[in-house]
Amino acid sequence: MLLADFGTTYAKFIDLAAPEPHPYLEAAKKIKADLRVDMATGHNAKRYTTKYVNELTALARGGEYLINEPDFTLLDCGSRDIKFIRYEKGKMADMGWNAECGASMGFTIELLGRYYNIDFTKLEVPQTSFSVTCGVLGISQIFDEITTGCDETQAVARFVKSIALNAHRFAGEPDRLYLSGGLCANPLFVRSFPGTVIPLGRFVLLRGLSVVAGMEASWP
Amino acid sequence: MGIVGVPPLHIMAALEKCRATLFDLDETIVRRDMEETILYLPRVYCAILRTVVINSLHLDLQAIIMDVGPGKCDCALHVATILADRLSIPVLTTINRDTTPYGNPLCTADMPLPEKIAQICKSIQSTARHRELPACLPTAAFWGVPPRDFSLLALFPNTTHVYGWTRCMENKTPADLRLESLYNAAVPTVFFAQSFCAKTALAKHLADKHPCALFLDNDISAGSSVRAKIQAFLELSGACHASC
Repeated sequence: MLLADFGTTYAKFIDLAAPEPHPYLEAAKKIKADLRVDMATGHNAKRYTTKYVNELTALARGGEYLINEPDFTLLDCGSRDIKFIRYEKGKMADMGWNAECGASMGFTIELLGRYYNIDFTKLEVPQTSFSVTCGVLGISQIFDEITTGCDETQAVARFVKSIALNAHRFAGEPDRLYLSGGLCANPLFVRSFPGTVIPLGRFVLLRGLSVVAGMEASWP
Repeated sequence: MGIVGVPPLHIMAALEKCRATLFDLDETIVRRDMEETILYLPRVYCAILRTVVINSLHLDLQAIIMDVGPGKCDCALHVATILADRLSIPVLTTINRDTTPYGNPLCTADMPLPEKIAQICKSIQSTARHRELPACLPTAAFWGVPPRDFSLLALFPNTTHVYGWTRCMENKTPADLRLESLYNAAVPTVFFAQSFCAKTALAKHLADKHPCALFLDNDISAGSSVRAKIQAFLELSGACHASC
């Protein structure tokens, strides 16, 4: 059974029929149009499957499986959108999905990293941040910072911290936050959150799909 | 005759008496590009009132009766001013403070939610008493105003009870803030308001108080993330299974 999470920049797959299933990534732009999978989530998913599971459901089921605590907040930061789910006493208590205002954060961070050739593993978390609503408006803020004499790398670092603070606020400002999605791979972003952050990686939604399919045991 | 909001009963009775053909201008009647409204209103404005402007511009109306004040909103008052200034027909404003309760049989009925809310909207055009309907046991609740895009209502189960201003509409007491603020804490509830509407504050406030709630705002049409939010909320809260 082939499961997939079709994200904006990357698609994530796992073949649960394989002898030793393991998840893998593929750049979204390299996926062939005639690909068909057994079950999928993600904003492009309906193009590739007849069994679509919405992203928040996949996130929640993946979180329930991986975290196994009655109270938790799980925030997923991808290329295009951010979404969170909060559980209290083992039940869903709150959720949110921001795909319009506040969107394109991950995409913008990746774009800026490439444009300015920034190694996010080597950047310290800056002291200050600035107010950004979304990735696109944030770019204008970066240019403003640079024109007032701020170093380019420092301006981008402030932007990344601002995005992390926005995402933290969006998730209800928990002291302890589980983080999933592509931005888990950006150490500056992860360290920019206030409080404790526990990164779970890119495959939480895929894990959620395996739960929905009733095949979580096939993927230890 | 165009009507906006819920005009007072005595006005509706007079309109009934003269058998006026009524158009509820809050509803999408004329399908034109919403961008036409930027000649009259800021682009970032309530989609319902932008719809009122589109309908007013393109329907052949003799007059418009707009309810403004606590039974509708301040934005309607300002839109009434603009339409009165820009149109050649009379634009009359009313302030509905009716307090006679008509009840809420549709709000609690077992019926597809789009049909239920469409019937509530239609009911404001009549002064007749509501037909009795058996109340169902609720599995979900929708709080708020009738959305501009009714397609988002199709995601709810038939056993969804209706609260908020829509309940006030059926009760014919649109300025009843106590009734508008009512919710059922025992049932998973979506608190909905149109984006850029003052009611977003009340929707968010009540959603924060409710133990199992989703605060939702939407502008012109319901996109994929809005639909997915509703679907996931109904499924994860136990109000509705993935297949419903």
